[in-house]
Amino acid sequence: MKSSIAKRVLVAAAAGLISFSAVAQEKAASLDDLLKMVQQSKVAESKEHKQREAEFRRQKANQQSLLKKAKDTRTAEEKRSAELEKKYQEQEVAVDQKRQQLDERLGSLKELFGHMSSTAADLRSNIGSSLVSAQYPNRTEFIDGLLAKMNSATKLPTIEEIERLWFEVQRETLESGKVVKFNATVIKPNGEQAQQEVVRVGNFNLVSNGKYLEMNDAYQLAELIRQPDASFQKMAEGLQASTAGFSAFGVDPTGPTGGSYLKAMINSPDIVERWHQGDIVGYIITAVGVFAMLLAIFRLIVLTGVSAKVNAQLRSSTPNTNNPLGRVLAVAEENKGVDGETLELKMEEAVLKERPAIESGLNLLKIIAMVAPLLGLLGTVTGMIVTFQAITIFGAGDPKAMAGGISSALITTVLGLCVAIPTVLMHTIVNARAKRVLHILEEQSAGIVAENAERK
Amino acid sequence: MHALIDAWAAVNAFMASGGPVLFLIAGLTFFMWTLIFERVFYFNKALKSDVQGAVDQWEERSERKSWASHQIRYAMISRVSEKIQDNMDMIQACVALAPLFGLLGTVWGMINVFDVLAITGGGDAKQMASGVSMATIPTMAGMVAALSGVFANTYLARKAERETQLLEDHLTMDH
Repeated sequence: MKSSIAKRVLVAAAAGLISFSAVAQEKAASLDDLLKMVQQSKVAESKEHKQREAEFRRQKANQQSLLKKAKDTRTAEEKRSAELEKKYQEQEVAVDQKRQQLDERLGSLKELFGHMSSTAADLRSNIGSSLVSAQYPNRTEFIDGLLAKMNSATKLPTIEEIERLWFEVQRETLESGKVVKFNATVIKPNGEQAQQEVVRVGNFNLVSNGKYLEMNDAYQLAELIRQPDASFQKMAEGLQASTAGFSAFGVDPTGPTGGSYLKAMINSPDIVERWHQGDIVGYIITAVGVFAMLLAIFRLIVLTGVSAKVNAQLRSSTPNTNNPLGRVLAVAEENKGVDGETLELKMEEAVLKERPAIESGLNLLKIIAMVAPLLGLLGTVTGMIVTFQAITIFGAGDPKAMAGGISSALITTVLGLCVAIPTVLMHTIVNARAKRVLHILEEQSAGIVAENAERK
Repeated sequence: MHALIDAWAAVNAFMASGGPVLFLIAGLTFFMWTLIFERVFYFNKALKSDVQGAVDQWEERSERKSWASHQIRYAMISRVSEKIQDNMDMIQACVALAPLFGLLGTVWGMINVFDVLAITGGGDAKQMASGVSMATIPTMAGMVAALSGVFANTYLARKAERETQLLEDHLTMDH
């Protein structure tokens, strides 16, 4: 037990030594070998140390002279620094004097420059968002240059520059009250660029070929991805075509502050996107609606045909079995001899047989007309549930997300009503056709038989 | 003339603030009242000759007591009542549809309100107001259309019933 512990300690020590000494690179065959190797390396190391010590002693004298040289350099530099300090102080006094001189000479001009720099800064921010910049894009460089000059203490603006600033302020004011045409490069929604005529309405809107444009920070014009109503586009076209007089035009009142109305329009979804917002319930309602319309049109065609045949039957005296009235009359024809009561019963039976074929589909239409708004309501409620679940998870901090969810939930109600309204109308029309034929069969067939009999 | 232009402008402003559904309601109301007036004119004019024709035809008959003549009388009444009932279903459907259109407008307006909310975050009550008027005006218009139709429809239904009854009374079987 003891020996095994000793062995382990020895192995651990040996491992430590192996990793440090370069001599013990090769593996020892036994623990004794290892011990020998450690001893050898120790001898080699002490030899190296002695060598290094000798080297240091030799260098010592040399160091002394180096130190002296460095001290000399320090004294020289200190002297030079004191001289420079003195010179700096002298020059500072001179600068102060010169500055005072400048102030005295500027006098009232100083106030003027203050006003000028604030005017230039105002104009810079105005021009940044002004649509006039689309027409004159290089105004900003001049103003930036002027502003830089004003902010520096050493430069003064020239008379030409002052006059140019005045000119630019006046031009901005005048141009923002004008409706003008000019040529510019317009980026289309598909990325193409085209040189075309652009109409600028003051500082409010840019239109080209009936499309509203927006201006980005680099004064490039791009067509809005989503345009306003066709009526507004037509007005824009009319404005571009007109040469004099008045022309109606839809203006974005937020134009001078960046056109947030037009930008918001890009975010609001169009009809197709809205339809997709309805999701599964929306698709179901649409499918039901399409089915109802097809069914209604099919029944309308069938009943119109039946109605025409019944009308033809009313005019002829011989029963034709291609229409319900004819078949009922044929029953009467077959039972000529029987008494009135029996004939009536037989005819009633025949009418009962005709009824389902005439009325088929009508109930389904009625059910769809009733169910469609309910389906819409279902979609709205499920949409609301999803929205409120999102609120329980993310909190109600963002009214935007909530409002978007609710507006897309409501779309199914719209879809439901859009299906129900035409279905009700179609049901009424189809029902009127069916009712007419049924009335003739139920209330008039016996009379027709009697009339025919009297006529003969 | 000036008053007319003012009135026209007021109507235009009303239509614009009510949204596109208002045009549908206007169309529906126009259609409904066309049918109602058609019925009123029919009851006051053409119906009389229809009834007279039926009565004359009935009076011409030599006998009015047999099974056959009863059936013929029944058929005659049915033919006239069919004419009387013409379009009545359509008027009723229009009355039922008007509030539905109003509801459609309401929901559409609400969607607009929520859209504005989604874009502006509820900070701009002025912009939401256009959606609110788009929601409420069609509802009101739909209700007004339906109410106006309900009265007319009730009157016409009564009238139709009475006329049918009268016709039955005219076609006597006693002599």
